[in-house]
Amino acid sequence: MTSRSTRTKLIATGPVLFVFLAIASFAGMASAQTALDLRGKSVDPFHSSRGKITVLVFARIDCPITNRYAPLLQEMNDAHKDKVAFWFVYPDKKTTAEEISEHLRQFSISIPALRDPSHSLVKHASVTITPEVAVFDSGGQLLYHGRIDNLYEIAGRSRPAPTTHELRDVLDAAIAGKPSPLASAPAVGCYISDLE
Amino acid sequence: MILSAHRSLLVFSGLCLLVCSPAKTQNERPAASLAKHEHREVTFNRDLAPIVFRTCAPCHHPGEAAPFSLLTYGDVKSHARQIADLTQKRIMPPWLPEASEWKFNDDLHLTPEEIFLFQKWVDAGLPEGAPADIPPQPKFDSSWHLGQPDLILRADSSYEVPASGSDVYWNFIFRVPLEKTRWIKAIEIRPGERRLVHHANLIIDRSQSSRRLEKTFGSGFPGMELQIESEAFDPDGHFLFWKPGTIPAPAPPDMALRLDPGNDLVLNTHLQPSGKTEKIQPAIGIYFTSEPATRFPVLLQLENDRKLDIPAGEKNFLVTDEFKLPEAVSLLAIYPHAHYLGRDMLALAKFPNGATKTLLHIPRWDLNWQAVFTYTKPVDLPAGTVISMRYRYDNSADNPANPNSPPQRVVAGNRASDEMAHLWLQVLPQSPVTESQDPRRVLQEAIARHHIANNPGDFEAHYNLAAMLQARGQTLQSIEHYQRALALRPGDATVENALGSAYFASGDFPNAIKHLSVAVASRPDYFDSQYNLGLAFANAGQFPQAIEHLRAAVVLHPKDADAEANLGAALAANGDTQQAIAHLRRALELNPQHTLARENLDSLTKPQ
Repeated sequence: MTSRSTRTKLIATGPVLFVFLAIASFAGMASAQTALDLRGKSVDPFHSSRGKITVLVFARIDCPITNRYAPLLQEMNDAHKDKVAFWFVYPDKKTTAEEISEHLRQFSISIPALRDPSHSLVKHASVTITPEVAVFDSGGQLLYHGRIDNLYEIAGRSRPAPTTHELRDVLDAAIAGKPSPLASAPAVGCYISDLE
Repeated sequence: MILSAHRSLLVFSGLCLLVCSPAKTQNERPAASLAKHEHREVTFNRDLAPIVFRTCAPCHHPGEAAPFSLLTYGDVKSHARQIADLTQKRIMPPWLPEASEWKFNDDLHLTPEEIFLFQKWVDAGLPEGAPADIPPQPKFDSSWHLGQPDLILRADSSYEVPASGSDVYWNFIFRVPLEKTRWIKAIEIRPGERRLVHHANLIIDRSQSSRRLEKTFGSGFPGMELQIESEAFDPDGHFLFWKPGTIPAPAPPDMALRLDPGNDLVLNTHLQPSGKTEKIQPAIGIYFTSEPATRFPVLLQLENDRKLDIPAGEKNFLVTDEFKLPEAVSLLAIYPHAHYLGRDMLALAKFPNGATKTLLHIPRWDLNWQAVFTYTKPVDLPAGTVISMRYRYDNSADNPANPNSPPQRVVAGNRASDEMAHLWLQVLPQSPVTESQDPRRVLQEAIARHHIANNPGDFEAHYNLAAMLQARGQTLQSIEHYQRALALRPGDATVENALGSAYFASGDFPNAIKHLSVAVASRPDYFDSQYNLGLAFANAGQFPQAIEHLRAAVVLHPKDADAEANLGAALAANGDTQQAIAHLRRALELNPQHTLARENLDSLTKPQ
């Protein structure tokens, strides 16, 4: 983590009195953004992807929409290996590491996977859906969260082919050092809030 | 010397020409009423399980098409908000028609009260309820639904669905090994890996015309829409449609489907990539009955593809067609068909008394969930009823299904990115078939003339009308329409053959030989035209040429008794008694009842 950013939040505690509360920087918070790798070891994906753009792909093993994106995500991962670190993140605490390994094997995914049973990464990335991607710059700043593209209009209803490509556009801009073309776009799939 | 029989083909295009094996028995609908639930807690066991078991579980169970199971409290809870959302948006359960006067089998439509229950349940914190309240979990088993089929056929080879990309349309040919004509009461379609198969249509190919589309024998072939040639006048009016959750139901006992030796069954599948490369190899199970059909439904197609020229960006493009029934019919099932731009699809019946009623209304078309809709009770449509279709298309960027971005001008065609405007009706004529009058022919002829009036350039309509006129013995009129079809597709082997056979029937052998020779030259492996050309030469007294083409026919269909018998006759006429006897005997081996072969053989072998 090289650059530091500070966010402030305004909290109203009374009709007249305002208190400025400094929220810790991403760098400072990084230790809190941990999840478990498939061996049960605590991993901070931002630390592990240092210097790279980080893409968290929130996934679920029984979500067909997630599955349908596997080839595209793997392809993007392979194309941008040097500059972008992809992670699959499974927020369902009931899903075991073995089931995740099997899921990755079935869909030929070599992207590393994390379990996020405490939803620490879910909250950090402001995501609500699987599949939803969150893109962070090399400083850990959230650039974008939302759909990969618009293949699905809504769960159960897909287009013949996507006509917008949000993840691709955000990554291209980030790699080129340009500002993100958009901050979010609604994702379509299964609700993370349906998981315990 | 007696020579017999000429053949021609009737061409149908479009998806489906087959038997209804609609689906499942209707469970009684739980009478959920808003008032009843207003003042008490909504629980899964008491309120939701009956709805979930009836409308979700048939697809959401292991081995079926849907992605996850919805069989238990835990299953439903882990998708609760999603279910509440998708039911409210009427995406799930997938059911396109609006409720109307006539009900359909396997209606998955949820009432507003049922939808509200899901919302209320989520708001209440997903209470499970008392264990005693839950109805028994539905049982699904993976064996054949109607017991062991009489005949199981597997596709000759599997098809590999790519891991990603757009939807794929693939066709599998099942070659049915039959020794004699059989009657089918039900067919179960097992499309293979069900998660990949959006829907499938089974079509009978009585002339093996689809085999020409396979690159190698048994390989199957791509394509969203099929054109199947059907022998002469054979208005088989059955739908055989599969969508996820379909359980086959036997056809009514008097409406079995005829299957003859040499018939193929073609399974047209709509497949969706899953994220990994997967192979599918469908199978079908056939159940025979000893009872031949005595009632024969007809498929009527309304269409107006010629009007499909939708400008890019057009949000509300209307295509209509209407057809006045010349005969009273019972409407059994309805199948609307458009591609991705279809939005609002309406089918109306205007009765002779002036009343207009809705036969089907789909306010939001979705190709992915298309289906054949079978009425729970046949709808009576008196003679003079006007059936109309009113389809609206959205070719703007606002239509999420639009395959083009940015939108492009779209016209009619067979590719997924083209459009269609078809409405198929499965009807049963109410008046009986008599020797002088077949109401099926009256209907088919009226619809062919209707298509020609709509579109004088409608090749298939001219062809079909000609074939019907020919079957009825109106040879000169049939020649006129074959010629108009030929003008639309010069050199088409099927039309050249049919026109040749019509000239043959009129006794004009030189013109018969002329057109049949064109057919044979363009498709030497075309049995019908080799056979017909052989007969034409024989009738013209040109026996060496007759023998040449009948020999070619025998090589193409070694088990055809007629071809053997006529070859024997031609050889005899040409003075080659030895060979003639051999072929006449072969004809009798194939069909001991072959009268012409018997008579000719007797005249050759018995002393004069």
